[in-house]
Amino acid sequence: MANGAEKLNKSSTRSIYGDYLLMLTVPCFTAYWYYGVRSLLVVAASVASAVITDMLAGIVINKKINTGDPGSIFTGAAIAMMMPSGIPYYVPVFASVFAVAVVKVPFGGSLKAPFVPAAAGFAFASVCFSDKVFDYTAGLRGSLFGATSLGSMLMSGRAVYIGESSVYDIVGGNVAGPMGTGCALLMVACAFYLLIRRPKALVSSVSFIAVCVLMVALFPRVTASFRTNLVSELCSGSLLFAAVFFVTDPVTQPEKIINKIIYGAVCGAICMAMRLLGAYEEPVCFAVLLANAFRPILDSAINNIPQFGKKASRKEVRAE
Amino acid sequence: MNNSISFIDALKKGAVRYNPVLVQLVGLCPVIAASTTFIQAVILSAAMCAELLVISVIANVLMKNLPRWIRMPLYLLVGLAIVCPVLYWFEAYSLSGISLGMKIYLPLTAINSVVAVHCEQVAVKSDLKLTVYDAAASGIGGTAIFLLTGAVREILGYSTFAGVRLNLPVTLKGMTLPFGCLIFLGFLAAGLKKILPSAENVQTEIPSDKIKEEPQAETADIVPEEEHKADGTADVFGIDENELEDFLKTVGIDLNSEEGSAQ
Repeated sequence: MANGAEKLNKSSTRSIYGDYLLMLTVPCFTAYWYYGVRSLLVVAASVASAVITDMLAGIVINKKINTGDPGSIFTGAAIAMMMPSGIPYYVPVFASVFAVAVVKVPFGGSLKAPFVPAAAGFAFASVCFSDKVFDYTAGLRGSLFGATSLGSMLMSGRAVYIGESSVYDIVGGNVAGPMGTGCALLMVACAFYLLIRRPKALVSSVSFIAVCVLMVALFPRVTASFRTNLVSELCSGSLLFAAVFFVTDPVTQPEKIINKIIYGAVCGAICMAMRLLGAYEEPVCFAVLLANAFRPILDSAINNIPQFGKKASRKEVRAE
Repeated sequence: MNNSISFIDALKKGAVRYNPVLVQLVGLCPVIAASTTFIQAVILSAAMCAELLVISVIANVLMKNLPRWIRMPLYLLVGLAIVCPVLYWFEAYSLSGISLGMKIYLPLTAINSVVAVHCEQVAVKSDLKLTVYDAAASGIGGTAIFLLTGAVREILGYSTFAGVRLNLPVTLKGMTLPFGCLIFLGFLAAGLKKILPSAENVQTEIPSDKIKEEPQAETADIVPEEEHKADGTADVFGIDENELEDFLKTVGIDLNSEEGSAQ
């Protein structure tokens, strides 16, 4: 079981995923605002496939059939939020099925999965349907740069002039991109909600964003001002969405504060390195998965440092 | 497994209960990297079966009295002698359907861990009949998984089967990548474990009357839990604990001294 989940039980899981589902209504509203009813249909298809897969998996492994597990609903909805609105329905369906059947159920459910299922589902879709997952030509009309997403502009190294009005469009989500993750202002609002409900969970997010900002300052992808690079990087793709919804995941996140900080920093460094060097427009889910995989090693490495290790071991060191 | 063992029994044990890929987890590298299509899986499994059978028989007939450190390179040499002609045939005819990855991984079957494990566990300890049965059963078990994996990956990943287009509405490119194969093998292994009866109810060891004594200086490659020494230590990878201590002392590590353990 992932360390962060050891203290969680069924009721706290409902509470936690209840919070996350409540927060997810905000990007859902954004998606509906910009992309219309089709975005909600994509969400419905994704959530339904995740829930049905969970139920079928319960039948296959002879366990209690899990109807309406909030973890599965969250997984399906989060995957849909990172897709473009014009995506064929089968793509989020496959991604949700993969997330639940391969990442969630085999490890024992939402509380024991060592990886964020939604991140794994989106990564799977990115590998299998990369031409569709990053195709933002359908859906958004009257956006700032037409059908060109910020991520693709940054990948191609095209410098973007961002004036005052452009900044409002970008942080408001009026650019081509994933249907639910574009509005940075609402992501910040979600983060504030999380700050009130679970302040410790945001520690990883803060270090994640801080390292991303540092990487933008050190390795800008376009020849423009720091402000332009920063706004473009943070608002492109699903970076802020992942910072709020995936990096703060209570199951895969470390327990200790110092571990949370390092976990978030590693995740941010991997994400920005993959953006700089990788082949995919939005690699944040791969970064989250890699950070999930490295988390036990990070935990043990940090715990072996006397200053950050257990009190008992420090006493032992003194006694020696 | 007794003297009158039938091939069916050997097949059940070698191909299903101790399937080389799903249970023993040996030979994973070629199957993951090279079995992306059915044709490649056929070539790979044919090479593995031929090599396993020939080397097992040679090991049984000629290598029983050799020390283990000589046997292991001999497996490699015999394996290369079998695989090299096939490779030259590939090169000579430049088979267009065979990918570069396949050409790289075919030589690796010469040093296949399936071969090493079965030769060391069975061939040099048993009679010829049991050796042939074990090699054939393991080859069939491995081949079944190779072919199934190759077929599923090709159908889902390329929407073709043995090069014939199937025109499926959706293809999952991830299945052609190593992670897709690992996930598929994981589900296959879980399914096999689910359908098999519990291991405690099945006799697993070769009876002592079928196992011939090895040279005293050599130890088995893989040490089962029950073969631990009386003092609780085990000869890991054929290295005696005293020899290990002597070796560590030569490089400046003394396990018995407190300073050494602190280091």
